[in-house]
Amino acid sequence: MERSRDHDEIATALAEARPAPRQAFVQELDQRAAAGFPRRPRRDGSPLAGFAAWIRGLPPRRLLFAGGTTALAAIAVATVVIASNDPNSQRVQIALDHPIPTEVSGLGRASDSAAVHSSEAESSVEYTHSRESSKAEGLANLARSREIERSAEIGLLADPADITDDSAKVFAAVHDANGIVLHSTTSSGKGGGARFELLIPSARLGDALAAFSSIDEVRSRHEATDDITKPTVTASEELRDSQARVDSLLAQLSTAEVESEREAIAAELHAERGHAARLRNQLARLHQRTAYSRVLVRIQGGNSTESGGAWGVSDAFGDAGHILGIAAGVTLVGLAVIAPLALLFLLAWLAQRLWLRGRRERALDA
Amino acid sequence: MSEAAVAEVESPCQGELDFERLYRSSRDDVYAYAAGLLRDRAAAEDVTAAAFERAYRKRSRFDAERGSARAWLFGIARNAALDELRRRGRQAELSADPVDTASLPDSDAQRSELRLLLDGALGKLEAREHELIALKFFAGLSNAEIARVIGTSASNVGTKLHRTMDKLREACDGAL
Repeated sequence: MERSRDHDEIATALAEARPAPRQAFVQELDQRAAAGFPRRPRRDGSPLAGFAAWIRGLPPRRLLFAGGTTALAAIAVATVVIASNDPNSQRVQIALDHPIPTEVSGLGRASDSAAVHSSEAESSVEYTHSRESSKAEGLANLARSREIERSAEIGLLADPADITDDSAKVFAAVHDANGIVLHSTTSSGKGGGARFELLIPSARLGDALAAFSSIDEVRSRHEATDDITKPTVTASEELRDSQARVDSLLAQLSTAEVESEREAIAAELHAERGHAARLRNQLARLHQRTAYSRVLVRIQGGNSTESGGAWGVSDAFGDAGHILGIAAGVTLVGLAVIAPLALLFLLAWLAQRLWLRGRRERALDA
Repeated sequence: MSEAAVAEVESPCQGELDFERLYRSSRDDVYAYAAGLLRDRAAAEDVTAAAFERAYRKRSRFDAERGSARAWLFGIARNAALDELRRRGRQAELSADPVDTASLPDSDAQRSELRLLLDGALGKLEAREHELIALKFFAGLSNAEIARVIGTSASNVGTKLHRTMDKLREACDGAL
């Protein structure tokens, strides 16, 4: 063996030295192959590792399908949850279930107290003004010494066939509250409606609004308060001064001896009495504004969700648009959340692949 | 493995992978490669089983446009073998289970001597060179397939193989 080996000779020897598997192993492997290579128990036994291996083994199409189905299910669930928690839906539901409570409706003590801090305090059916009762009572005590003018506006949605009945209920509620109907118009039929301008004793305004709210579906409710303490106090003081002036003139008139002087005092007394009368009228109007609240009730004919009126194609389109809008929003938010996470996951996956490849190659260099 | 058999595995039915045929044609080659690289029969059996298991799970991901089925399979087998190497830290123990010369026919004394010399020479090769030998002569891959498996060019594989063969020859000659 003194000659130099050539490559062919070495190659032949290498091929002959090729390791061959044991027959027992071949048989076992053939059986596993025939059985579709069932999974063997993992050495690490980690459930997560098993799950990861199962995910890795899924074909891309099945993985994509599973991911898409999961995403669709998540969007559907989120849409249902959001739609059921929609503030608009909830608002209508409250109106359906109960008349809006007086304390919450805004013309109770809470809104009185709001008036102390602002000349025009407004509240709406969205109950933004609900507060802790103790705080409301404290402010209400303060408000009692002030002159508060109140007004309210309620919009009701009624089935066109119910407008006449609803109007009668409005009149009945006004009567029960000892209120006054200043002006009313009612038109029945398709596109009909009713409008009522009312004066309701402020002390019974809460009850009256609750009664109006229970007539039909409440679509809007608006309440306002106006602090008129300053003009009331001013008018009272001016009236008191004027009355004192009248008394003084009467005293002067009784002691006046010269005719011309008596005539001058009488003229002045006449003017002052006129001034006092105007002040009394002004004060009476101011007191009336606080004693009575202006209420506008509007009834609009239309399909009421409460009364279960015919649900038509337009409603279906509206609802579908609403649901699609929510679904689109959910999808957009989901993408906004998932996209960066997916990018991070992708980067992490690539980094892990590179790291693993590097470690495998280093195993050969070790 | 013959060229015809390779072609059958790669395109058995409109581009789909015939895994059964791939298994039948490559089972012994994968084992030979793993045993040649790891020089441990028990580990080679584990790696062979793991490689086919992984390949079976991933068979739908095989893309014929990216290379032959055998190259794809040996890529998986290589990962399994390197994982085994990495896990067991057996690189320093490569001489533990040498090529089984006893199982070979020993009618030719000269060849028997050469095999013994080769066994010693293989133990002196670097792991990457050892892997090339295993892929080329034990698994029977072409240079292009080896290039695909280890991620380099076919010409580079040819050059490295030539150098490795030179080292083997020099090691054998030096041992005389």
